[in-house]
Order: sequence, then C-alpha cells, then structure tokens
Amino acid sequence: MVTTVPYLHRPQLKTSMMELQGTKAEDVKPESPNILTFCDFLQSSRQSSVEIVSLLLQRGSESVVIDIERLMEWIARRVRLENPHSIREYLLRFTELLDVIPQAVDAAKKHFPEAQLVMDVYQDPEIADCYLVLFIRLKHYDDSVIERLEKAEAEFLDQLVNKEGWIQLTTDFREPEGEDVL
Amino acid sequence: MGRKYANPPIIEAVCEFRLTSETQWDLTVPGLLYERLKETFPQKEQRMVQEVELTQGPEGLQQQIRTSERLLFFTEDRKMLAQVGPRLLVVNALKPYPHWEGFKPRIEMAWKSLQETIEVRGLERIGLRYINRIELPAQGVELGDYFEFYPFVGKRFPQQMVSFLAYVEFSYADGRDRCRVQLAPIPISGAEGKTAFILDLDYFLARPRGVAVADALAWVEEAHSRVEEVFEGCITDNLRNMFEEVL
Repeated sequence: MVTTVPYLHRPQLKTSMMELQGTKAEDVKPESPNILTFCDFLQSSRQSSVEIVSLLLQRGSESVVIDIERLMEWIARRVRLENPHSIREYLLRFTELLDVIPQAVDAAKKHFPEAQLVMDVYQDPEIADCYLVLFIRLKHYDDSVIERLEKAEAEFLDQLVNKEGWIQLTTDFREPEGEDVL
Repeated sequence: MGRKYANPPIIEAVCEFRLTSETQWDLTVPGLLYERLKETFPQKEQRMVQEVELTQGPEGLQQQIRTSERLLFFTEDRKMLAQVGPRLLVVNALKPYPHWEGFKPRIEMAWKSLQETIEVRGLERIGLRYINRIELPAQGVELGDYFEFYPFVGKRFPQQMVSFLAYVEFSYADGRDRCRVQLAPIPISGAEGKTAFILDLDYFLARPRGVAVADALAWVEEAHSRVEEVFEGCITDNLRNMFEEVL
C-alpha cells in the first residue's frame, strides 16, 4: 500500500490551538503566538488537518527555528507575507524581534482594523542595511492615517531600543490586493 | 559511526540541559556564564520566553503560564548559539549543520562552563533534538518511496491524505530515555511543485535524575548515536541519495 501526500498549499489556519481545545485565547494571553503543548492537542477532539502544522511546531521554545516558524504561522493568519523566505532569514539574524513583532502587528490591527497588513523585508539599495516593513494598505486614505500610524508605532517603539533588528510600520499608499483582500 | 551527508536536511540541532530544583540559581548566573562563553559566543541577546506548565489535578488539567527571561549568546557568524534561562542551558546549531564533530565540542564547552559557574546538583532533563526539513521536488509523493516512518492507513480509507502527523515515542535504556519521532508535511510558499516535510527527532532523558551529572556528556554522546540510528531508520535510499552520502 502506498500513501500519497498531495502538494499542500499555504495554510490559512481557521482556528488556533486555543480554539481547538475550546479555550478562549484571551483567557490566557491575548493575540500572541500559541504556546500550548502536545497534551493539549491530544486532548482536543476538534482538531482539523491544517492545525497539524501548528502541533508540529508548538513544542519547545528551545528551538530557534521552531520559534520562528511558530511566529510565521501566527503572522500569516493576520498579515500578507511578501517574501516569507527573506522574513525567516531576517528573523534568524535578529531573533530579538520575535518578541516585538506580535506587538507591532497587534498595534497595527488595533489602529487600522480595516487595513490589509503586508510584511516584507526592505533592502536599502545604497547601503548594506535591511529591515522588516509592515505596510498598512487601505481602500481609502485620509488625513488621519499618519497620526494613526504614529499612535500605533508608539505602542511598540520602545521595545526596539537596544535591539539590532528593526521593524518599520508605514504605508505605501497602495490599495489592498491578493486573495485575502478585505 | 553514522553516515555523513553532503546535503544533510538538518535545519537545527538542539542540546538541552535542564537542571533540578536543588541546583542553586540566581540572576547573576547568566552573566557569569557569559563571561566564560563570550569568546565563542560573543553576541548577546535577550528574549522573554513563555512556557506552559500542565498539571493534572482533581479538577482536571490545570495550566500555568510562566514568563522568564532568556539570554541568547550567538557565535560571530550566528550559526550557533547558547541559551541560558533559569536552570536551563541549551546549545543550538543552525543550518548548515557543522556535523557532530563541530557541534559536540560546543556542547562540551558550554556544559563545562556551566559547571565551573555553579554547582549542578541534578539533571531534570537532557535532550538532543534534530529538526530536519526534507524537501521533495514533486507533488503527490508516495511516502513509502522516501520514508520508512509514516502513517499506515488501511485500504478502506482514501489513500490521498490532505495532511497528517506521525508521532511515536520509542523507549530506550530500560525506559530511562525516550526518542520522540514526528513527521508531518509542511506548506511551501512560493515553490509550487514541491512537497516538504519536517522530521523532528528528539531523544531525551525521560526519567528525571536518571543520569548523574558527571555522566551528562556521555549520555549526550549515546543520545547522538541513537538519533543517528533513528534517522537512518526513518528514511529510504532515495533520500540518502538526495542527501548525498559522503563516503
């Protein structure tokens, strides 16, 4: 007997591990990558196939790669990722950002609930410098955008102090695009 | 001596020493340890880590979240690192894996440095974990062509799986140790026509205090041999050919 596995498309996770076991995520810690253990999953009776990736990645924060994958999965449910490979490489270089990114994404979502968020790695063409960029994309831009950006940025900016990596919240004034467009 | 590959699929190797609560630990330990490690691991970073502790009580499963500070000391090229947290020392090797000859000396150095810094009174857990990412240049792969560790489903089931997780714990050393083996497909973004899998091998001390502190490094060496055996047991010659064995 031969068991085949078809090509898997990028997952759009419908539920988190928290939701799987019937526990509200906010009961534990709001809007942060899940940190449950294998036991939780086994006790869940509602697991769906795509969450298997979550399960595989949930063990042990001792692994840097697993931490990054867990975060990437969390981001992918909220943000359109332009170059996942480059983002992974950047996070591997600047692991300190793993703690900051959820705060940045949460802040952006809070101040721009109607926006599509897009993450990419910006490479400065003139100097050997690159950083993460979190773009806000809206259907309609008005005068409040810059002020809201500043307020959102203020919520995580102090977390970047003394860190070598950087995440910039900004907008490119483009309209939302792609399958997940709002 | 295990096989060596020119293109090993290892994306991370992790060696973890978790100390028992009898070991005295205070906030100065990470800094003192850094002084001993900084020649090899000069780049210092800090992270907050959340861990969930699960306990089975009379009222069911209780979970408690603990947040602790962890220091990460990277090598200059950032391909290896040591992590230090409360009663915890971890040594990680990232891709490209430096082979055991390159990884083992770092583990030994970090462990000896810890012992020079504090009196280690017991080991709650030791673990040696290898996370492999195996990418196949095909869609709809037949698992049996590449793996000797994968889920069996009877003929009454549809033979096309959308996803799966194969998870087994094997017992070693009369139950003192276990090896946890996990295989699951993972999505690949921007690389259609390929299939990827994570093969996660975690050999660990399952019986707290089951190994004397003085024998910790010998345990790690033995664990490495077991993990090599398990890895070879998980794959077929098709994968060996892809990884390009070095003779």
